[in-house]
Amino acid sequence: MAIITKEKTTARAAPLSDKSLIGWLRLNLFNSVFNTILTVVTVYIIYITVEGLLVWGVIDAVWIADTRRACFAISLDGACWAGVVSWLDNIFYGRYPREELWRINLGGLLLVIWMAPLWLPRVKAKVTIGLTTVFLYPFLAGYLFAGGDKGLFMQIMISGAILCLVGNTLHAFIGVFTGKGLPEFLIALLGKKAAPEKSQRNILLGILAVCFAVVYMLQMGASFETVSWTKWGGLFLTLVISGIGIASALPGGIILALGRRSKLPIIRVLSTAFIELFRSVPLITVLFMATTMFPLFMPEGFVLNKLTQVIIAVCLFNACYMAETVRAGLQAIPQGQYEGAHTIGLGYWGTMGFIIMPQALKHMIPNIVGSFIGLLKDTTLVSIIGLFDILGMLRSISRDAPWLGLHKEPLVFGAMLFFLICFAMSKYSRRLEVKLSTDHKH
Amino acid sequence: MPDLNTQKTQSTAQQLASAASSEVIIDLDKVNKWYGNFHVLKDIDLAVHKGERIVVCGPSGSGKSTLIRCINHLEEHQEGNIIVDGITLDKNLKHIDHIRTEVGMVFQSFNLFPHLSILENLTLGPIWVRKMPKAEAEANAMMYLERVKIPEQADKYPGQLSGGQQQRVAIARSLCMNPKIMLFDEPTSALDPEMIKEVLDVMVELADTGMTMIVVTHEMGFAKTIADRVIFMDDGDIVEENEPNAFFNNPQHERTKLFLSQIL
Ligand SMILES: Nc1ncnc2c1ncn2[C@@H]1O[C@H](COP(=O)(O)OP(=O)(O)OP(=O)(O)O)[C@@H](O)[C@H]1O
Ligand SMILES: [Mg+2]
Repeated sequence: MAIITKEKTTARAAPLSDKSLIGWLRLNLFNSVFNTILTVVTVYIIYITVEGLLVWGVIDAVWIADTRRACFAISLDGACWAGVVSWLDNIFYGRYPREELWRINLGGLLLVIWMAPLWLPRVKAKVTIGLTTVFLYPFLAGYLFAGGDKGLFMQIMISGAILCLVGNTLHAFIGVFTGKGLPEFLIALLGKKAAPEKSQRNILLGILAVCFAVVYMLQMGASFETVSWTKWGGLFLTLVISGIGIASALPGGIILALGRRSKLPIIRVLSTAFIELFRSVPLITVLFMATTMFPLFMPEGFVLNKLTQVIIAVCLFNACYMAETVRAGLQAIPQGQYEGAHTIGLGYWGTMGFIIMPQALKHMIPNIVGSFIGLLKDTTLVSIIGLFDILGMLRSISRDAPWLGLHKEPLVFGAMLFFLICFAMSKYSRRLEVKLSTDHKH
Repeated sequence: MPDLNTQKTQSTAQQLASAASSEVIIDLDKVNKWYGNFHVLKDIDLAVHKGERIVVCGPSGSGKSTLIRCINHLEEHQEGNIIVDGITLDKNLKHIDHIRTEVGMVFQSFNLFPHLSILENLTLGPIWVRKMPKAEAEANAMMYLERVKIPEQADKYPGQLSGGQQQRVAIARSLCMNPKIMLFDEPTSALDPEMIKEVLDVMVELADTGMTMIVVTHEMGFAKTIADRVIFMDDGDIVEENEPNAFFNNPQHERTKLFLSQIL
């Protein structure tokens, strides 16, 4: 039997919601006596640390001075940022000749221009753009940074890279404004839309060949002064090493991971042994091995400079870690996807390239970015074997006569710089993950 | 007893075959398969004629899926011969790839590619395996989407479709490869009742076009409509095969009777 009350229910206050600030505070920080005490104590601790930091780093800090002594004269307890400021060029570029710094900046700018289309809407063939970044840009940048004589191979790669950069940029512009790709646009421009596919392709190849020849001629005249790798340093060197490491880690990792899952026993055993060997040794050991043992294995008269050895070591090391990330990603793909791919006649490479890898990579994005961040930080280990990367530079400030003994400020500055870069990367990976998972609504 | 039975069914099969074309397109000869020590397929003999429609039924674990998965070499058999479209299945990868382009397959769990749009799901095979120009492949794909009655879904992703729609896309995906044979492994068992019909309708239409089909299913109504021959498997054996009327109304074998009494 139902009981029906006729009276109106009286109004009462809304239940505490965690939407409003006060509601949130009361729910999360002051919901019991114990929690209230805890909150008060925590706030006090935060206050004294932050206040100390603020006073040291900002209020009492010295920004402009010529020596550490001059800093002390102005303020005894404040940070002496003047040392960091006067070393900024060294921190960013190492001992790279000052009049050649534009080459590094240009290299960075070109990378931005090269990769920007990846984030622009309506641009087609983004995978190709990504691949050219990995396989062509390094040659262009490498020559820009190192300079010297160009061999035939370098000339070809540099011309290819320049051509690709120009093509990319045009392609991106056309994409943004018309939604078409560059090839499609050229064909329409020439009025050959109706021509059969084969002759269209021939026209495009012809244009490509002519452009390549022109670029090749043009670049022959240009050459840069050699800058020895021993002069490379600072954040620039850190980014070069970790950049190459990042660019090669993914392809290398994919190859090793596929090798480890191969049906052929030799390939499987070799890949597994290689991966496990590198994973069971710390990076610093690998670096020492690379610089001391590696030359012993090389044929007589074949000398690699220390930087190249270090880069090879970093690449191999990271490829092995990436291989395990990729393998985990591959394991998350259900067997049915392989079977679906097989039933439409795709072979091993087709199945992997079109079906399995794209899905696996998507699952792996957070892990991949995680290992990139790790790689960037690990790269500072090269300062131990005598390369002046950013950490090496920050530490040599304290050995510079005017700034003798200035340890704290450079390291704090380095920490903030790393935090900024790494934080931005991980934030971006979060966004990417959310975007990809809402894109296709699985 | 079983021997006599097999002989009888084989002669029926030959009579039935005359209804379809006389060309044998799938020929299984004393096929045996083991999972470890477990004998899944025992001396399977089966000849399928071009245009013939075969329904396979039997209790769970009897080896139905394994049987049809051997035909496009998703599973490997260990003894005996399987000849599909004149090609003997062996370790040669070229043969396997070729046979897979000629044999379409539809799974219980659809196995669409979630990262590709419906249209891309349908054109991937034709473009990369059949080397068809993109425009032609897309027109072709739209034609098959019309046939399974969901052309308006072309630009969506599999995750945005209902189960029945996904299964129809899966059928269209196989058809886009223009296969000579279609295999179906319980295509409707993962679907809600109201979606089963839409998928079965598409399959009936497909049967009307003269496609060679082998269908593992427990939809007996469907079997009666389209099957030229019903095969009953139990414990890795083909226990009984007959044309649908005789099979359902006058089963010969005790195990068949028991099975039919359970599902009808
Ligand atoms: N990969 C495998 N490894 C070991 N045993 C397997 C494997 N796949 C299937 N089996 C076994 O083989 C037998 C036949 O399996 P199959 O999938 O062919 O049966 P089915 O007739 O299709 O059954 P269902 O109606 O449940 O789908 C089952 O007993 C199953 O447990
Ligand atoms: Mg089954």
